[in-house]
Amino acid sequence: MRVDPSGDAPVVVCNLTKTFLDESRGTIRAVDGVSFQCRESEVFGLLGANGAGKTTTLRMISTIITPTSGTAKILGHDIVKDPSSVRRSMGFYSASTALYPRLTARETIEFFARINQYPADKVQARVNSLVERFGITEYAGVRVEKLSTGMKQKVSIARTIAHNPRIVVFDEPTIGLDVLNALEVQKAIHDLRSDGRTIIFSTHIMSEAEKLCDRIAIVHRGHILACDTLAGLREATGLHYLEDIFLLYVRGPA
Amino acid sequence: MNWAALKLLFKHEMRMVLRSRRTVVTSLVLPAVLMPGLILGARYVQRQQAIQLDQTTFHYAVTGPWADEARRLIERYKHAPEFKNFNLQELYPTHPDQALEDRTLHFYVRTMTIVEADEAAADDDDTPTLGSQPVERVTGLPGLQVVYRGSQQVALTGAERMVDLMRAARRNESYSIMFSRGFPSHPEGILAMTASNVATDSQISGSNLGRFFTVVLVVWLVAAGSIVAMDIIAGEKERGTLETLITSGAGRAEIATAKHLAIWTVGLVITFTQVLYALIYIRLNVIQLPANFEIDLSAQSIAQLFVLFVPLAAAIAAALLIVSAYAKTYKEAQLHFFPFFVGTLVPSLAAVLPGLKSRSIIAFIPLVNVSVAAREVLTGRPDPLMIGVTAVVMSLTAAALIRYSAKLLTREDIVVPTQHEQAILEGGERLFQRRVFQWFAVMWAVTFAVVTNVSQLQSPRAQILFNEIGILAGSILMIWRYRLNLRDVLGTHRVRWPVWAAVLMAVPAAQVVAVAFFRLMNTIIPTPTEMLRELGKQVAPTGMPLWQMIFFMAILPAVCEELAFRGVLLHGVRNRFHPVVRCLFVGIVFGVFHYTLFRIAPTALLGVILTAIAVMTGSIFPGLLFHAANNSFAIGMDAAGISQNRFDWGTYVAAFGVFFLSMHTIWRYGKER
Repeated sequence: MRVDPSGDAPVVVCNLTKTFLDESRGTIRAVDGVSFQCRESEVFGLLGANGAGKTTTLRMISTIITPTSGTAKILGHDIVKDPSSVRRSMGFYSASTALYPRLTARETIEFFARINQYPADKVQARVNSLVERFGITEYAGVRVEKLSTGMKQKVSIARTIAHNPRIVVFDEPTIGLDVLNALEVQKAIHDLRSDGRTIIFSTHIMSEAEKLCDRIAIVHRGHILACDTLAGLREATGLHYLEDIFLLYVRGPA
Repeated sequence: MNWAALKLLFKHEMRMVLRSRRTVVTSLVLPAVLMPGLILGARYVQRQQAIQLDQTTFHYAVTGPWADEARRLIERYKHAPEFKNFNLQELYPTHPDQALEDRTLHFYVRTMTIVEADEAAADDDDTPTLGSQPVERVTGLPGLQVVYRGSQQVALTGAERMVDLMRAARRNESYSIMFSRGFPSHPEGILAMTASNVATDSQISGSNLGRFFTVVLVVWLVAAGSIVAMDIIAGEKERGTLETLITSGAGRAEIATAKHLAIWTVGLVITFTQVLYALIYIRLNVIQLPANFEIDLSAQSIAQLFVLFVPLAAAIAAALLIVSAYAKTYKEAQLHFFPFFVGTLVPSLAAVLPGLKSRSIIAFIPLVNVSVAAREVLTGRPDPLMIGVTAVVMSLTAAALIRYSAKLLTREDIVVPTQHEQAILEGGERLFQRRVFQWFAVMWAVTFAVVTNVSQLQSPRAQILFNEIGILAGSILMIWRYRLNLRDVLGTHRVRWPVWAAVLMAVPAAQVVAVAFFRLMNTIIPTPTEMLRELGKQVAPTGMPLWQMIFFMAILPAVCEELAFRGVLLHGVRNRFHPVVRCLFVGIVFGVFHYTLFRIAPTALLGVILTAIAVMTGSIFPGLLFHAANNSFAIGMDAAGISQNRFDWGTYVAAFGVFFLSMHTIWRYGKER
């Protein structure tokens, strides 16, 4: 996929590659030359099976790990040269990122707002607005360890956007959640896009991708096989269901 | 460094610590309650025991040929002031041993004839001593024995008191006899002897305290710091909060430093709290100090101790952080804790060792230097230069460890879920590479324990058979258990003919090079002749036919050991180290498997050469040929009576040249690298 590294898209990913040295299998290219860019106020989906390279791509974008080659720019900040600015510009949410059990919901949001350098004089107002927005006023003073799973999800999303980032990354956010909580997360993503944020969203659940994503990139074995809107993918393949489209790209024509 | 972020993170970490009920209870509340509780409890039990013993009437009997004389002695001396609480009542059982069994007697005094006494003395394993010198047992005297049942505390105490009583009786009776026979004065009056200690009470107390001061503080620092450290990275990794934190705007350096500061602070606070508790308990007389115990600590001494222990606490905190970072889970961190604890405890015991000078290399050994310097401070002989050097060395150590711990947080295998669990799930090759060290450690321990303890395996032939079969069986078990690819393990590909030729050419040259190496080493560290003789015996045991020697000492070891070390072990570490380190590692392990100290170095050298050949050729077979030929050559030289000491320097240089050429050929024509 062609991208313009100097373009003004909020997220520009260019030839991102990550190799791991596996003890028995030698060098493995978990992500192999992935390129894409995300537009303002869109939900960009990475759709792929387990081990396709989605999480590794998102971990590189969020600077948890460094790419072997290639680069990405988040709001103009290079993920390799300026990782701190990248992290301050974005929120990262995944099934493996947890909350501090001994902090209250309010303290959690406040801590992440401050550590991401949200203006100190506006932190309290921001915390109050998030507490209200996510409907956790009643539980704001309760320690996270005592909250229900659904409440924890809400606090988790609130802490992800505590510093009001323009870019939010959701790495398989509904994994392990029941239907109701998964729907809450989907609603939150929908609302965030409505706020004008750019969202990168990875999933292996076809219905989620269909429902939420403006554009979908099909990822397989570290490569992006296709990237378009759902309509575009349907048109290109002549298939209606995303599941069929996905299988066509991953397995080839039957 | 973003100081605002650091401050925020530190406050955050401390808030987490203070909100952890487990941390607060185990580190602050429990010691405050437990320590005086234990001390008071122990003291109460001791007092009650003493009262009970004083109130006990000990039932005893006296038997044997001079029982009446013994009774007279007991009667005479039991009223002495030191035995005033020793209440005795004599019983007259028909069978004293049965009475002991029935517990109607606490003990009995058995008087013996000269013959009986000599027999009893011969059965006694304890050699009598005079001062520290063993002396011959006096024979030809009637004897007295206190018989008791040691498993019964009251009986033991009673018997000990009776022994003391009889000894006092013997001493006084001897003096009386000597005096009545005309000895000029009291036997203790020959020489007036006193000792004068010029050290002050404070210095003596300081010296005693100083020996263990660092150990106690290190125990507190490690114990206190570990409560936080285990949770602060390993626990966070397990919960997933570390990933949340590292995706925030905070840098890794700030995160690591804040975590380190939290451990350091908690370690110091808890240690100072413990010291404070101890002082309060001393003040309240809960802890009773020995008589004349006096510590004269000036403000300067306290400052000196502070200068020594603050960087030490920082270093311990950083080391704990590293331990926690390496662990995947909280549980794993706890497993790492014990070896770390022992590792810090041993050097901190340096002050106990006599003769360690403060102005020596000791000043540059972290932790050991603090231990010795603290002892000097408490003894009232502080050496400002050493304290300065120690503080600098400890600060540099702490800084290096902090830097390393910060670096660890940038390592992907540390901060994100790694392939470890995957390896365990998948088993096979990947799991084997993680377990290979444990396997070889167990193999070493088992063969070592069996060979040194089973008397049937003391002959060289039996030892070799057991070791080699054990190593072979272990290797086969590993190949089977982890489904290792035998072709990969052995390296069954074709090896080019120049390699074989070079291997054969290298064998005699290697022998001479090894002798040169040994002679060179001998000029640096002279080897005792006895050791050389012992080595010779092990290499070429006497009384074994030549063919057996070739089989047992050349062919069998070559096959079994090459499969184990250059096959399985090298295969297990092939992705782990740089090739040079791999050769050294496998070579040293090979050396260590030859158990006896003086065999380790030469066999390790051989092991390095053999591993290098395996690495260069990718096959165990050229090494196997080298190993068998090398051992056979040595046996042959020994059988032919050729002394290896005859070589001159010219031979050594030529041999080295041939050896180098052979190795170069093996490298040149070895496998494609």
